[in-house]
Amino acid sequence: MQLTAEHITTFILSISIMLLFAKVLGELFSKLKQPAIVGEIVAGILLGPTVFGMIAPEMFQWLFPQQGVIKIALDSFTTIAVILLLLISGLDVDLSIVLSQGKKAISTSFMGLVIPFVLGFAASYLFPQLMGIGEDGSKFVFALFMGTALSISALPVIAKTLMDLNIFKTKLGFIIIAAAMLNDLFGWLIFSIILGLIGANSHGFTFEQTLFFTITFVLVVLSIGKKIINRIIPFIQAKISFPGGILNFILILGFLGAAFTEYIGIHAIFGAFIVGIAIGDSVHLKENTRQIIHQFVSNIFAPLFFVSIGLRVNFIANFDIVIVLAILLLAFTGKVVGCGFGAYWSGLNKNESLVVGFGMNSRGAMEIILGILALQAGLIHEEVFVGLVIMALFTSISSAPLMAYFLKEKEKTKFKNLLHERFVIFTYESEKEKVISKLVEVASREVILERETILKEVMLREKYLPTGIANYLAVPHAKIKIKEPFVAIAVNSEGIDFEAADGLPSRIIVLLVTPENNNEIQLQLLSEIAGKFKNKSEVEKLFTLKNSDEFYQALKLMN
Amino acid sequence: MFSKIGLAISFSPTGKALVKESLRLQRLYNSQLALIHIGERNSESEELLFKTIDEAGAERDNLEIIWGEGDPATAIIKAGIESGIDLLVAGGLEKEKMLKFYFGSVARKIMREFPASSLILKSPSLEPVPFKKFFITVDYSSRCEKTILAAFQFALKENAEEFTVIRDFYMPGLTAAIGENKTFDELSSLIDQMKYEEEEKMRLYINELNLKGLEIKIVCVYGKEGWEDSNYARTNEADIFVVTGPEKKMRFLDRLFQHEVEFSFESLPANLLIIK
Repeated sequence: MQLTAEHITTFILSISIMLLFAKVLGELFSKLKQPAIVGEIVAGILLGPTVFGMIAPEMFQWLFPQQGVIKIALDSFTTIAVILLLLISGLDVDLSIVLSQGKKAISTSFMGLVIPFVLGFAASYLFPQLMGIGEDGSKFVFALFMGTALSISALPVIAKTLMDLNIFKTKLGFIIIAAAMLNDLFGWLIFSIILGLIGANSHGFTFEQTLFFTITFVLVVLSIGKKIINRIIPFIQAKISFPGGILNFILILGFLGAAFTEYIGIHAIFGAFIVGIAIGDSVHLKENTRQIIHQFVSNIFAPLFFVSIGLRVNFIANFDIVIVLAILLLAFTGKVVGCGFGAYWSGLNKNESLVVGFGMNSRGAMEIILGILALQAGLIHEEVFVGLVIMALFTSISSAPLMAYFLKEKEKTKFKNLLHERFVIFTYESEKEKVISKLVEVASREVILERETILKEVMLREKYLPTGIANYLAVPHAKIKIKEPFVAIAVNSEGIDFEAADGLPSRIIVLLVTPENNNEIQLQLLSEIAGKFKNKSEVEKLFTLKNSDEFYQALKLMN
Repeated sequence: MFSKIGLAISFSPTGKALVKESLRLQRLYNSQLALIHIGERNSESEELLFKTIDEAGAERDNLEIIWGEGDPATAIIKAGIESGIDLLVAGGLEKEKMLKFYFGSVARKIMREFPASSLILKSPSLEPVPFKKFFITVDYSSRCEKTILAAFQFALKENAEEFTVIRDFYMPGLTAAIGENKTFDELSSLIDQMKYEEEEKMRLYINELNLKGLEIKIVCVYGKEGWEDSNYARTNEADIFVVTGPEKKMRFLDRLFQHEVEFSFESLPANLLIIK
């Protein structure tokens, strides 16, 4: 079979239309603060049998034929796309983070794998009719797949959510990221083994041989392979034109890994994923390089892949509310309970554990990729696939608001939330000790500690290093035996010398007391307070205010 | 700070230089000095060891000599613990061969397993000179406070010319998090903004320690934690790189997926002081 000029024209036209719809709807959904992938899938649904196929079936068949050479060409293109998607997913995985986060990440990840897996497997095995599966021999493999599908996470969506919630750089953020990375690695490994088990891509190897080759491949690539790659990358970045050289290198290695795993009987994506991890681990890989390859894949190949999903499946005809609800219930319960329990077990408190649970619940693109591969391999039918896609989108969209809700507790320690009008006093002192003493009096009523104890610690700190910052601000502070941080503000009519860096006398004196042995919270609050008063002209406006209430309201409005 | 310094000594070409370096430290800290030698004790080995000590200009009466047998690294660590050494000095190659690194050389095992502080000298000198350029890796933990204070006291004693505290930070999955629509400039400015925030935080953190007598330079770098700071120290030709010892025992997996201090253990950026 050969591609004729007509075939090529149709093929290129269909690719252009897919890209156009994906980009327009992806951008639209981004503007609506939703993941672009939702728009791209909607584009596929509009172009596919669900909408376009219903309205103009002949036109649809001509543009997106369901068989023949154009279909083969399109399938090849989307296969390349999915390999590249997993390659860049691998680039983001940093297994050393898992080790540095230690028990918390491992326990979260482990429970986040085991509980959803057991739940998904048990529900699908014991009640196959719920998922529209008969009581035949295939229910075991189907149940294995459902267990895996429910246990996987989507690192890109999780990372984006953490960034939006401004907790990416926190301990909690690192635990979630590390757990998601480990989860992905094992999720894809189990899925590949399932594909090996059903012989979906077999080249004549037995299951045992496939398993042996898979494990050897992972071990070799992630040990010696990783070391060799780390030595080659600086050479390529220095000697070969940038970014062409390094992009070529990454793609060549990714495709080689993909070809190998396809050959040994597991899917090509697994090879690309593992090679991606090995490349991404290199200390020499520039952040720009990561971004270039991300843009290359995310703007061209990913949209084509996600649009192609809508082209394959009729989402209305295959929508089964029972399956959708069952998958949603299992997905939420398994992941939130599993990861949440794992995090709680490792020492996080209840709210933090729930943040971890809902954070890890995002399935995003990874679930959809897993689903489409299972559909192609005949592991699941279209109703289940539709259920998985809806679950992937719903879990991704719901993750951020649910996390934000349980993060409220953590927000309590932010400067803006610690502040209250009754902790703002207007003073007329000319000595440092007297104004601090008045602030300590306010504090001693709130933190249930002897006034003298607080004063002694604050003055001791003040004595060895004055706490004037700049812009009329001073932050006398101390770490004492309390559970929660406390702030009080004195607006002094006269400036007092706290030896600020800009030489200005301090008129706004913020007393900060934080729990001892918690450097992080003290640093966070000190930096928030300094940031709040960074604009001198804004600070000067505060001096015109007459009472605590006015001051408190004005401070709340300050950026 | 260091009341008893131990030196792991073998009959290697650097033996005499190591004794000289340890003697200098002993004088600096006015501490006791113990030499730990692992190997069969006989007249020949005794003579060889005494010759090294004498040639280095040490007075035998002023130091303790500890003999041990068995696996060198294990025996050195055991002897160091038993004799109450709080700073163990040893020589170490800048980089071990791959297999040796994975399975552990004597110096690498000391770095990872000795429960008190250790100082690994990359190229001990027969004419030892004070360390002038101190580079210290910083996180915000209480353990790190101890490291900075120890390094600062050391730097003051040495009359150091440079005291740089480095904070490296990394956000895995950053490119995925910022999405496909950000430009390179936006990514760079995001990283710059994070660096600025970290620098501010570092300034506050260092201020809290009330260190006086030496100018402190604050540096924040973005990149793999553990690698970027050691690389910064290497490229800026640090005399000594000071790190906080790992909280837990570093194992094979930590070497396979290197993180934090393992990068400095693999390839010494300078003489390495590990504070525990």
